[in-house]
Amino acid sequence: MSDREPRTDGGTASISARLRRLADGTVVSRVVLYVVLTLAAGFYLVPIESGLVTSFKTGAAIIGTAPFAPPGPAGFTLEKWRMAIAALLRGMGNSLLYAVPATVISAFLGSITAYGLTIPNWKQSYKAPLLALIVAGVFIPYQAVLVPLTQFWSQWVSLTDLLWFVWALGLSDDYAGILELIVTHVAYGLPICTLLFRTYYKTMSEEMMESARLDGASLQRVYQRIVLPLSGPMFAVVLIYQFTQIWNDLLFTLVLVSTESSQAAPIVLILAGLGTSMEGQDFALRMAGAFFAALPTLAVYIFFGDEFAEGVSA
Amino acid sequence: MATLELDSITKTFRDGGGEIIAVDDISMSIDDGEFLVVVGPSGCGKSTMLRMVAGLETVTSGTIALGDRVINDVKSQDRDIAMVFQSYALYPHMTVRENMSFGLEESSELPDDEIARMVSETGELLDISELLDRKPSDLSGGQQQRVALGRAIVRDPEVFLMDEPLSNLDAKLRAQMRTELQRLQADLGVTTVYVTHDQTEAMTMGDRIAILDGGELQQISTPLECYHEPANQFVAGFLGEPSMNFFDVTEQNGRLVGEAFEYPIDEETQANLGGTTDLVFGIRPEAIELDGRASGAHEFETYVDVVEPMGDENTVYLHFDPDSDPEDTETLVATTDGLTQIAEGDTVIARIPEDAIHIFDRETGDTLHNRSVEEAAEQVSLD
Repeated sequence: MSDREPRTDGGTASISARLRRLADGTVVSRVVLYVVLTLAAGFYLVPIESGLVTSFKTGAAIIGTAPFAPPGPAGFTLEKWRMAIAALLRGMGNSLLYAVPATVISAFLGSITAYGLTIPNWKQSYKAPLLALIVAGVFIPYQAVLVPLTQFWSQWVSLTDLLWFVWALGLSDDYAGILELIVTHVAYGLPICTLLFRTYYKTMSEEMMESARLDGASLQRVYQRIVLPLSGPMFAVVLIYQFTQIWNDLLFTLVLVSTESSQAAPIVLILAGLGTSMEGQDFALRMAGAFFAALPTLAVYIFFGDEFAEGVSA
Repeated sequence: MATLELDSITKTFRDGGGEIIAVDDISMSIDDGEFLVVVGPSGCGKSTMLRMVAGLETVTSGTIALGDRVINDVKSQDRDIAMVFQSYALYPHMTVRENMSFGLEESSELPDDEIARMVSETGELLDISELLDRKPSDLSGGQQQRVALGRAIVRDPEVFLMDEPLSNLDAKLRAQMRTELQRLQADLGVTTVYVTHDQTEAMTMGDRIAILDGGELQQISTPLECYHEPANQFVAGFLGEPSMNFFDVTEQNGRLVGEAFEYPIDEETQANLGGTTDLVFGIRPEAIELDGRASGAHEFETYVDVVEPMGDENTVYLHFDPDSDPEDTETLVATTDGLTQIAEGDTVIARIPEDAIHIFDRETGDTLHNRSVEEAAEQVSLD
């Protein structure tokens, strides 16, 4: 036991004093750190919290309480959520109808294109110009293509006319807008998807792919059995990115579908007009609508979160 | 199984404006079931040559034939060739079993149960049966190496290509795998081309070795022939550790005159020189005798600079002139028995037997005179 006793000679005393000072220093700095972190967290969370509590308030409670204060029992209502869901459900369905296929198709095509661009026995002189075009595609602003885009879909490829047999079956020809959105978003998303996958495939072992070729697998089979199964993390990144991008995009929907009264109106179009009327803004309804509309993007993050982290770090 | 015939194959890469010749007009024929080791310093074109045989690089000119079939334009996947890579290149998302079945599934029409049987047989052969359901990331380097081998063996290809398959292993495991690979290759009897930069692997493993430098084939022969009868100065210097001693000399009236010594040669040796006077004198370290006795024309007084004890033998660095700066004087390297008492600063008599010397043309590097074959043959018969 005696050897556990602290020695009390001068040298040790000064060391322990220094240690104590050091410990005091760490405590202070930790306190400061946590205070700052708490403030930062509050700064980011207060708007969200305010929106959430507002969505549960009656009109009177909104006027009567501070924006971030929770509603009292008298001021609490689910009515606004009910209204928001009723108004947006159709739009939610329509949005999923184009956002999901467009996301999946652009990710898949991007992956295949990137695979093609990383095949080593393709001549660099073929790959380089193609890659330059793809990179250029990333930088074309949405606004720059609005006019040609509407011209393309209204004059050159008018789906309303071309797919008359579908509309003859009783489906509203407003849904031509959904198809147009799918194709447009795939085309617009392809460059960035391709570049993301290309970067990822460049890090894959070239010898592994060569080994698969020597094992008798054709280029398609190598993609199917080696490259695609190993692409999981990058698919998570691309799916989250593309889905959020397409889901939130208002510009293309405004141009291609244009009116919220359309049967095929996406959620963003309806949300834009939700809770605004001649009498003024219904803040609770707008908040409830915004939260409801954001649910799918939240779900995507939660669903692919682990793979996303892996893909981003790759 | 088949013979592999390379007929003056050449590979050039374009580099900016110029062209780089990676493989320069190489011809060789590898017999059915033969184990050929291709060796050379890095950048000598040996891997490029192997990749051309595998179909991973195009052939600029020349032909590659497997049996009677010219395979220049046959795609990799249709060549019936298996390759083991330095990095093992296992498929990380598949179990060992799936890794090994992959090739059979892709290249043959065999039913699943037949493939399963072949995989488990090969697993037993390589002693990896208990690893079959694990993923590559759960295996050690040595185990991954065996799986990579298994993946090649299970396909029973016409030719095995191995690109430095042992260089990622630690020294002990490497020595062990070297023996095992030789045994496996002999059992399976598959034509094998094995690329390495390690001269121990080259000397010990192959039926024949091909030595490459600068994209050109320097010599292809049995290991001992390459060692004792090198075709040129490059081969002589590349094989052997410590490597052969070289001294620039000039022939003057039956004597080889160097900076530090003069060495008389007999008429027979002189006849081999064919009148060339600018020469390089070569002697292997183990051929030098440090008996410290007598003095004759082929004996030289030398001074020990450094002794490196290896246990079984000592590597001794000798100088001809005790007063010279060790940095820029000619050094003679000799090996002696590990128990020989020798110390730095000693003066020893080094005997350079005439039947063990090599003489090269200084300009072309070609061999003009090799050590006497009788003595080499004597050593061969001891094996």
